[in-house]
Amino acid sequence: MLRFGPASGPVVMIAAPLFEEANRTRALLVAICRGLAERGLASALPDLPGTGESLIETRDARLADWREAFAAAADVAGSRVLVLALRGGALIEAEAAAVARCHISPIDGAALVRDLIRTRLAAARESGEAFDPAAIAPPGPPIALAGNTLSRALLAELLAALPTRAERTVRLSSDPLPADLKLNSAPLWRRAEPGQDLGFAHRIADDITEWAATCGS
Amino acid sequence: MIPDTKRQVEDTVRAVLRDVLALDETRVATFDADTPLFGALPELDSMAVAGVLTELEDRLGIIIEDDEVDGEMLESFGALVAFATAKTAQ
Repeated sequence: MLRFGPASGPVVMIAAPLFEEANRTRALLVAICRGLAERGLASALPDLPGTGESLIETRDARLADWREAFAAAADVAGSRVLVLALRGGALIEAEAAAVARCHISPIDGAALVRDLIRTRLAAARESGEAFDPAAIAPPGPPIALAGNTLSRALLAELLAALPTRAERTVRLSSDPLPADLKLNSAPLWRRAEPGQDLGFAHRIADDITEWAATCGS
Repeated sequence: MIPDTKRQVEDTVRAVLRDVLALDETRVATFDADTPLFGALPELDSMAVAGVLTELEDRLGIIIEDDEVDGEMLESFGALVAFATAKTAQ
């Protein structure tokens, strides 16, 4: 778990996106953490089991494990926790004891799985191999989707997963869904390569710092 | 507000290609109906195709079925805009 900012005060727990989107947005999330630290707010960015530097295989990961791990990380991070979730991160922060939650472009699990399948189909089309999107239900062996090998149980759990209810939602201006704040930036999580957007990171850091001050005491 | 007129759909397709493929604003402004995409644009590989289609779905409020995705609709800017316009009208 990466930690930034002062040793005391509220801690912003970052729930990163899932799977490949985590790689694409890691630099952005670290920039947000640094931005928050510059504004006097602590933050932490945990790795979920089966991701990053975790010792567990991705194929053994389950949604409940992720939710439990994130909540446990929030517990050690501090006594006053604010959750900042990006994309699929909104699906795994439900059990964290947080004062308030802010979601950036949250998506439901079904949309996430559709994305994974679509990427697999695109690769299959290019290599000429067959892939049947209907054949991912349990029981059966783990499935390779978009660079990760995932258990069918996890996929089934994701298909039913919805974001936690959040006090604040931020979206991009290109996103037609409702939000408390819309920011004019490109969706870094959609790009094939990891990227960076310091302007976006600083705008988020500004917004979260302001919002954190209003989140009761 | 979901774009629906042909011009708005075209603007949206342009913006999606710019945002997802990290292309210059000036470069996408030159795209016209005949501009070749898949196979000609190195940024548009199979991983990027998934991102482009999903982003189009989200911005236009459409669903693109897996069996609708073929070489033809990705062949040129004009083909992609025509496909997206037809889906938006449904």
